[in-house]
Amino acid sequence: MSKNSDAAARERLVARAAQGSFLAGLVVLWYLATNAWDVSPLLLPKPQAVMRELGSVLRSGEFVGDLRITLGELGAAFAISATGGLVLGYCVSQSRYWTRVLEPLLSAVYAIPIILFLPLYVLFFGLGPASKIALGATISFFPIALSTVAGFASVEPIYVTAARSMGCSSYQLFRWVLLPAALPVILTGLRMGFTVALLAILGSETISSVAGLGHRIVSLGENMHMARMFAYILFVVAIAVSLNAVVSALELRGRRTY
Amino acid sequence: MDADQVAIRVRGVSHEFGRPGEPHYVRALQETSLEVVGGELLCLIGPSGCGKSTLLNVMGGLLAPTAGTVEVGALSVRGPMPQEIAYVFQENALFPWSTVVDNIKVGMVFQGVPAREREARARKALQNVSLADFAEHYPGQLSGGMRQRAALARALALDTGILLMDEPFGALDEQTRMILGEDLSALLASERKTIVFVTHSLGEAVFLADRIAVFSARPGTIKATIAIGEPHPRRPAFMTSAKFHRLRDELYSLLHDEMRKTLSAMQGGAGGGEEARP
Amino acid sequence: MPTLDPHPPGLLILRSPAAARLGVIAVLLGTWEIAAGWFVDKMFLSPPSQVFGSLDVVLRTPGVTEALKLTFSQIGAAFTISVAVGLAVGLALGFHRFSHRSLLPIVLLLYGIPQVTILPLFILYFGIGSASKIAFGVSHGIFPIVLTTAAGAQNIKPILLLSARSMGASSAQIFRWVVFPHMIPSFFAGMRLGMSGVLLGVLLAELYVSQAGIGYFTTLFTQSLDPTKLLGLVSLLAAMAIALNELVRRAETRFSRFRSV
Repeated sequence: MSKNSDAAARERLVARAAQGSFLAGLVVLWYLATNAWDVSPLLLPKPQAVMRELGSVLRSGEFVGDLRITLGELGAAFAISATGGLVLGYCVSQSRYWTRVLEPLLSAVYAIPIILFLPLYVLFFGLGPASKIALGATISFFPIALSTVAGFASVEPIYVTAARSMGCSSYQLFRWVLLPAALPVILTGLRMGFTVALLAILGSETISSVAGLGHRIVSLGENMHMARMFAYILFVVAIAVSLNAVVSALELRGRRTY
Repeated sequence: MDADQVAIRVRGVSHEFGRPGEPHYVRALQETSLEVVGGELLCLIGPSGCGKSTLLNVMGGLLAPTAGTVEVGALSVRGPMPQEIAYVFQENALFPWSTVVDNIKVGMVFQGVPAREREARARKALQNVSLADFAEHYPGQLSGGMRQRAALARALALDTGILLMDEPFGALDEQTRMILGEDLSALLASERKTIVFVTHSLGEAVFLADRIAVFSARPGTIKATIAIGEPHPRRPAFMTSAKFHRLRDELYSLLHDEMRKTLSAMQGGAGGGEEARP
Repeated sequence: MPTLDPHPPGLLILRSPAAARLGVIAVLLGTWEIAAGWFVDKMFLSPPSQVFGSLDVVLRTPGVTEALKLTFSQIGAAFTISVAVGLAVGLALGFHRFSHRSLLPIVLLLYGIPQVTILPLFILYFGIGSASKIAFGVSHGIFPIVLTTAAGAQNIKPILLLSARSMGASSAQIFRWVVFPHMIPSFFAGMRLGMSGVLLGVLLAELYVSQAGIGYFTTLFTQSLDPTKLLGLVSLLAAMAIALNELVRRAETRFSRFRSV
């Protein structure tokens, strides 16, 4: 009914307007608080100052070194956890027995905030990227492994029967039946693993590190360079949100035919 | 496969699931012997749980029987025989992540058909089931009847001499079943395949089959065989003929007692019910 | 048709998955024990036998038990606040269609931000004492509660409300007998996620900077290169986290048995 869709469209527009004005209102509040209402710049820097610092950071390319370190850690951690999680997940899924044994164990460990083990990793690997990579890989391993097990375990038996009746080999079964059938669930797990790895790496950089974006924010704060710190925070948030958006889009693309 | 040659020879096949004494033990099929003539359409019909699907799976090499042998031509059946036997299942066995034409091609990949032949054979199979316009669709976008046509196309593209069909039209509404039945009959007339067809529907069995093997209640065996004696392609007029009704009545009287037995066994809490599937 | 035997051949004891799980854990601990004993520098990894023995020492280190209690109370406070505020906000957002459509996406947006980047800000604003730990815990735990409560409030079938009204129920009665029972499962699911969030937030803040909480001791043990005590402390914390998670999970299962109509 065109009336309903008109009403729906109007509602959406109003909702968008409300969101926009809410966010705009926050910015206005921020401006007033720092410029008109005497909130200390040591607590909350002026938005203009933050923007200026952000511009300076971007133009000077100062962020490049830290960004490279952080993204490098993320890439390495994700590569390790994805490979390990996919392989282990597949192997476990092929045995109903081992699935029943190991799946609850993996879930239980995932329920603990594994970042708790950061001090141990730092003790073992030092303050450099190795501990971040190791921790990131450990944390993101679990959602990937769990979803791989779930994905392969959820393949409808009829597909396997049909393929076998047509004479498929084990490799053909994997490539043409098991993998495509399990893919939607696996992609979700990979997306979750990525998100969680990013959080783990930023977190461990914040808590104990000598380099990377997380560390940069911390050291700026310690030296009370508030405006620049806020600029970096905005920068890192923007990067994180964009990365997550890209990964989500990839996940949706991979699931499109289902 | 020449007519009058035996395409499938079933000798003394019986099957049990589990071991006696176990809670899920089931005697699915009693000693059964059967000869499927080349080029005929043989229907297997019987009450729920009588073992007809089990026998079909044994014939196709998907299930190793507890006793007995099956021969296809000169070969002994010991596992799936993709070169000789193609399957059409009741449930949707098309891969939802591939288009219809890709589904058909994948079947040929499994069977080992060289790449250059796959496209042409796939297109031809789709033509034969009147689905050529839907080649690039995904199974999820098709109706139940069209999906089963696609499944049939996949089986036809494999170009086997034998087609095993396990209640392929079971999930469809009656009108679609009738149309698909007519099409199958027309196909049989032109392609000279041997088809073994499991069904619950008496009308479908009489309309499609050259011979009907009637099963007894679980644990089942073939109780009787009815010959239809009507050439393919079957006309819709056949369905309203006196001959059709006579044969259907004969089938019904053979089945009726077995169906009653199955029902009372189920109500007696013997744990019957669904057809045992491997 | 090759099927997998649910009872694989082998040791009878391994037939029970629970026993097998214990077996897996035992094998892992055994490998760790051997590795720590023979291969790895004792400075960095202690064998589990030593760690187990050290638990006693750890607990007797002055300040550790107090620190554990403090952290536990921080978690408790953060959780209570998250639930109280989260419930209120979630209900408000869930019931009014307009606020649901307009404000909820903002909540989702905020939820998507990696909060750990603003951890230093929390410390700057709330100090290095318990307040910042509780605040950071709340900021992690509140979102799942708001989101699940709002979702639970949203998807009540209108037919239920209609039939209650047709029987003459007042708004209060409708809330008590229709809305409230309907929302219990989602609420408990939210609480479970909220507890995970609170645990994460409080522990992250503690690890970052701590005067008297367990974060103080993790830093201490790290800097004094004492892997045994560190492992002991971290194990205790992990055990606490598991226990708390399990508690909330059981509450969820128990209360979700009241399946709403």
